[in-house]
Amino acid sequence: MSKSSVNSARLAALSMLEAVLDKGTNLGDAEGGLLHADPRDQAQARHLAYGVTRWLTALDWLAAKLLQKPLKRRDQDIHRLILLGLFELWKGGSSPHAAINETTESARKLGKPWAVALINAILRRFQREQEAWLKELDSKEERFAHPDWLLRQLKADWPDDWMEIMKANNHAAPLWLRLNQNHAISGTIVALEKEGFSVARHPLVSGAVKISPAAAVNALPGFGQGLFSVQDPAAQLAAELLEVSDNLRVLDACAAPGGKTCHILECAPGAALTALDRSTERLALIDENIKRQGLVDCSHIKLLAADASKPDSWWDGSPYDRILLDAPCSATGVIRRHPEIKWLRSPQQVRNAINMQSRLLDRLWPLLKPGGILLYATCSVLKDENSRQIRQFIERRTDGKPIDLAAEWGRELEFGRQILPGDQEMDGFYYAVLHKHA
Amino acid sequence: MAKLEILETPDARLKTVAKPVEIFDDELSRLVEDMIETMYEAQGIGLAATQVNVHKRLLVLDVSDNQDTPRVYINPEIIGSEGSETCEEGCLSVPGIYAEVSRAEKVRVAARDRDGNPFEEDLDGMHAVCLQHEIDHLNGKLFIDYLSPLKRRMVIKKLEKQRKIAGEKPAGTVF
Repeated sequence: MSKSSVNSARLAALSMLEAVLDKGTNLGDAEGGLLHADPRDQAQARHLAYGVTRWLTALDWLAAKLLQKPLKRRDQDIHRLILLGLFELWKGGSSPHAAINETTESARKLGKPWAVALINAILRRFQREQEAWLKELDSKEERFAHPDWLLRQLKADWPDDWMEIMKANNHAAPLWLRLNQNHAISGTIVALEKEGFSVARHPLVSGAVKISPAAAVNALPGFGQGLFSVQDPAAQLAAELLEVSDNLRVLDACAAPGGKTCHILECAPGAALTALDRSTERLALIDENIKRQGLVDCSHIKLLAADASKPDSWWDGSPYDRILLDAPCSATGVIRRHPEIKWLRSPQQVRNAINMQSRLLDRLWPLLKPGGILLYATCSVLKDENSRQIRQFIERRTDGKPIDLAAEWGRELEFGRQILPGDQEMDGFYYAVLHKHA
Repeated sequence: MAKLEILETPDARLKTVAKPVEIFDDELSRLVEDMIETMYEAQGIGLAATQVNVHKRLLVLDVSDNQDTPRVYINPEIIGSEGSETCEEGCLSVPGIYAEVSRAEKVRVAARDRDGNPFEEDLDGMHAVCLQHEIDHLNGKLFIDYLSPLKRRMVIKKLEKQRKIAGEKPAGTVF
């Protein structure tokens, strides 16, 4: 049997890219195709596919410069192999020799032996003249590897920070855990360190620890026992901001996959919590998470597959003390985790999300008790979804008032607080706490 | 030690069914060493005697990460198997062609070592795939024989085309 059939990382990365760029699948789902590969090939395929997705337009620019004429549409696979090879040479990982050889060999495996010499020539030329090409790239907007509409929007929304935001977007995010406070945290940390992981606590978010090197979460000791969950520190702020306690009626309006739901239950096991999500499948994830974390004793949990924007169809008529609206959004704050968002999201989809957010605010607000709190959250960095959305809501309603959040994290906006991606190593997140007049 | 020539499809000798090894002597030992050297030289992870035109039931393989653990199976027989798994395979006798083949996920094999001592082993993963692939060679069978007739025809055409252009200057070079 021949060896090359074992190292199939590049071809696996290529099929992940095809799933993402041609079919609009997200990278996480595209990984499903890797299940049969050798674990080391899987890790490498993931590294390559995420890397090329992250730097797509920069790599395209380099490839266009190095190719004398663009490849034909039917040779898109060869074009993408070139991007994979350029990424490896530019951003490192394997030795240049291996990168070039294995990329060219992949063309042979695709049944396109004519491309072997072409890929070889392009990659070797890039290797020789790398410095000059990268210097030229540095004067082009392609170096940010963001779509034009997003680049323009970030410049408009964040005239002082847009460049930092894009840099942070292009950095892979660390692995953050939220330690389950109902177990001895020090014991969990010791168990992780014993397995050779280094564990660092977040300076501002008490249950958050950073794990390096990053690993598959189910490979970490204690995951199955519910000692921790994977959650960015920015998302861990929600439960605290919501000021939950036992006996309060709490609505988690867009709950799946349930990270914040479980956190709320952890802080207030006696809360009467209703968790909603439109998708039955995703609702099952919440159930799974609750069970894994041993929160099944919380007897007042109600999981509903329902559309939060249509309370007539599911609301029992008793108002809530707390509402968490973790609204559907552009997800432009988590690009560092999901680089495909840059290419899959369209301005029209963002407009749809903005409309949905204001509809959800308007429909859920009447369900809040006077004196109650609605926490509005997004993982977006766009002001139309965040402070401008809340300003418009305040202008529409006379019985709502945003509470000033005096906090060390993020930055204060006209309404609410924004964490930009990379701030204290967190994801981009927005929070506004709305208080309803008694 | 010597590097041996590897037969390539459509060579009819690849269809020979190999005969059991009966004599475990120095000559056999030399063949084993030459096959291991040939396998490493060709960047293979497995090689059956059939592929080097020796029609004895003997195969070598090495699926270790560092390619430093050669294994020898003489008169191998699969005496138990379970599960099924699909894996992309390639073959030193079918250069440049890779295709998915379904095989048993786990196998139990009975064989002899190069001194003739019998042993049994449970294999899984790439080790199991490779062993089944090499035993097929001893029975005159190639992995492309598992493909649908249409796919197989495409593979054979591809091989012919590859052979034709192998001597020519590659097309599409920009410099």
